[in-house]
Amino acid sequence: MLKKRLIACLLLKDGQLVESIGFSRFLVVGNAIMAVKHFNAWGVDEIIFLDINREKNYDFERNDVYYDNTLKEFAEVIRYVSKSSFVPITAGGGIRSLDDIRKYLSAGADKVSINSAAIENLQIITEGAKRFGKQCLVVSVDAKKMPDGTHHVMKNFGKEDTGMNVVEWAKKAEEAGAGEIFLTSVDMDGSLQGYDIPLIKSVVEAVNIPVIASGGVGDWNHLVEGIELGGVAAVSVGNKFHFTEHSTMHAKKYMKEHGIDTR
Amino acid sequence: MKWCAKCLYPESSAVKLSFDEKGVCSGCSVNEQKAEIDWDKRAEMLKEIVETYRSKDGSNYDCIIPVSGGKDSHYQTYYMTKKLGLKPLLVTYHGNNYLEVGEENLKNMRNVFDVDHMIFSPSVEVLKKLNRICFKLMGDMNWHAHAGIFSTPVQVAVKFNIPLIIWGEHGRLDLGGQYSLNDLVEMTARDILEHCKRGYDWDSMTDEGLKKLGRPELSEGLTARDLFCYKYPDMRDIARVGVRGLYLGNYISWDANKQTKFVIDNYNFKISEQSFDRTYRKMSNLDDMHENGIHDYLKYIKFGYGRATDHASKDIRLGIMTREEGIEMVKKYDHVKPRDLYRWLEYVGMKEEEFDRVCDTFRDPKVWRKNDKGEWEKDNMWDDKK
Repeated sequence: MLKKRLIACLLLKDGQLVESIGFSRFLVVGNAIMAVKHFNAWGVDEIIFLDINREKNYDFERNDVYYDNTLKEFAEVIRYVSKSSFVPITAGGGIRSLDDIRKYLSAGADKVSINSAAIENLQIITEGAKRFGKQCLVVSVDAKKMPDGTHHVMKNFGKEDTGMNVVEWAKKAEEAGAGEIFLTSVDMDGSLQGYDIPLIKSVVEAVNIPVIASGGVGDWNHLVEGIELGGVAAVSVGNKFHFTEHSTMHAKKYMKEHGIDTR
Repeated sequence: MKWCAKCLYPESSAVKLSFDEKGVCSGCSVNEQKAEIDWDKRAEMLKEIVETYRSKDGSNYDCIIPVSGGKDSHYQTYYMTKKLGLKPLLVTYHGNNYLEVGEENLKNMRNVFDVDHMIFSPSVEVLKKLNRICFKLMGDMNWHAHAGIFSTPVQVAVKFNIPLIIWGEHGRLDLGGQYSLNDLVEMTARDILEHCKRGYDWDSMTDEGLKKLGRPELSEGLTARDLFCYKYPDMRDIARVGVRGLYLGNYISWDANKQTKFVIDNYNFKISEQSFDRTYRKMSNLDDMHENGIHDYLKYIKFGYGRATDHASKDIRLGIMTREEGIEMVKKYDHVKPRDLYRWLEYVGMKEEEFDRVCDTFRDPKVWRKNDKGEWEKDNMWDDKK
C-alpha cells in the first residue's frame, strides 16, 4: 500500500494568498512565499499552488516590507518557491496549452494541474501525457452536487455548470492520460464541515489513478474520514492550514494516531 | 481609488482587502458574521479549551496575558480572572512611549485584578537606535513595539513553561477580514513575522543584518545581544512547550466601546483627557503616543489613510456612527501632522526636514501624485460629491 499523502493547497488570487469560501468569497491571508517557507518546515508531503486570479492584477508592491512581493507572474512565483521547497510542487491555473505546461514545469513545478483546458479539449491531456509523462499531469475537477445526488463538473471558477457527470468525466480524464485527479467540492469549499464523502467515494471507485480530496476541512478528523470513508490516496487542505501554529505537523500527527499510514 | 461601500477603507489599505459584488470590503463582511454567531457556544468552547491548560496542581500560572495596560488588556484580564477564574501572568513590553495616563493604567492592573505583572523594559539606547533604523528602513519607527509585543510574552511562555497565551482581538481579522470569525485563527509565527514585523526579523537590525539588506548606512552598532527581547522563540521550543495563543475576539462578541465603558466603571480604567491630533477616540493606544501619532501619520503617507479611518470604520460597523459622520472624521483628522513628532525628533535626534524627506520615500505611487505646484495630492472619497 502506498503511503497516504497530506497536501497543502495554496490559492493565489491577484498574487496574494487567499482563503476561499464557496468559490465566491476570498480573504487575503498574505504572501505566498512566506507560507511556503513555513509549510516546508512543517513537513507537508506536497504543495499544490493554484493561480485563481481574475483580473491579472499583480500590483501589490510595497517598499515597507521585507518579503518578496514583487513577483509579477505566477511562473515567477513557482520558480522562486521551487528553489526553496523540499517537497513536490504542483502548479495550476490558466494552463491552456502544451507551452503553458512546459512553462510551469521548466519554472520548477513537478506537476501541473489542468482544469478548464481539459474540459474544452481533452487532447491537451493526451498530448501532455505523451510529451511530459502522465505522472506530471493532474486533472483538477470542481464538482457541484445536483438535486438528484449526482455531481456535475463546473467550470469558470465553479460558476458554470458543464452538465457533465463527474464520475464519467474522471474516467475520461484517466483514459486520456491523467496521472491524478484533484477533486474539489464547490459546495464544501471553505465550509469547515468536511469533505463531500459520497462525491470522492464515487470517483475513487470509478478510476484507478490516485484521487486527491479537496474542499471542506475544518477538523483533522476530516482527513481521516477522507481516507477511510472516501478511500482517497491523498488529502488536501487549503484554508485550515493557515489558522494554527505548526498546523501540518498536528494534522499529520493526528492522522498517524488514527491509524493512517503516512510519510 | 476605490473605497468600501459600507465603511471607509480604501483599496490601498495596509491590511489587504477583498471586495464583494456590492463593493463591500472583507473587513465589513467578517464583522457582519458577529450577528450570526452563537456566542454562548463560543464562550463554552473557550471554557473547554482553557480547562485543559489550567495548572493541574496549582504549581504554575494558568496562562499569559500580554498587556499594554489599555482597554483591551483590562477587559482580557477581567475575562480570564473573573469570568474564568484563571491565574494569569501579565506580561508587558514597555516601549518607552507611554502617555502618562497609559502608564497609570498599566500600574492599575495589579491593583484591581489581584494578579502578578511582569514588565519588560528594554534599554532606551537600544530603543532609540531601533526607532531610527526602522523609520528609515521601513517607514515605521514602531517596529520595535510590534516585534517586542509579539515576542516577549511568547519568550516568557517558553521560559516559564506556560503554554496558553490569551490575546485580545486579532487586529487584521477585525480591520480587514484577513480571516473569518469562523476560522478560530490562533497565533502563528508566520502571521507575526509577515504582518506584525513586516517580514523583518531581529537579526535584520544588527550591523551585519543591515549590511545583508544592502542598507549598511543605517547601522547603529547593534549586535545580537542588544536584541534578545525581539527574538521569537525557536519552533522546537514552541512545540516542546506546546505554546498556543488564542484570540479572545474569536470567543466573545467584541465591542470596544462597551468593553471600555465596563472597565472604566468597574476597574478604574482611565481614558485620555487630552484628545489626539489624529483621531477622535480617546480610549485607544494610550500605551504609545506615537502609535496614534507619527507612526499613524506614516500610514497616511504610505497608503493615504489614517487612524480616523480605522476608528470611524470600526464605529460604523458597530452601528454607532453613520458613514457621513465617519467621512467628516476622516476629513478632519487623516491628513494632520501630529505634535508628538517633536518629542520623537528630540528623542532620536533628527531634524524635521530629514523626517519629511524619509517619509516621501514611502509614498505609494498608486495613492499619491504631485500636482503642478509640486504638492502631494491624492483622491479622496468625498471628491465625487463635489
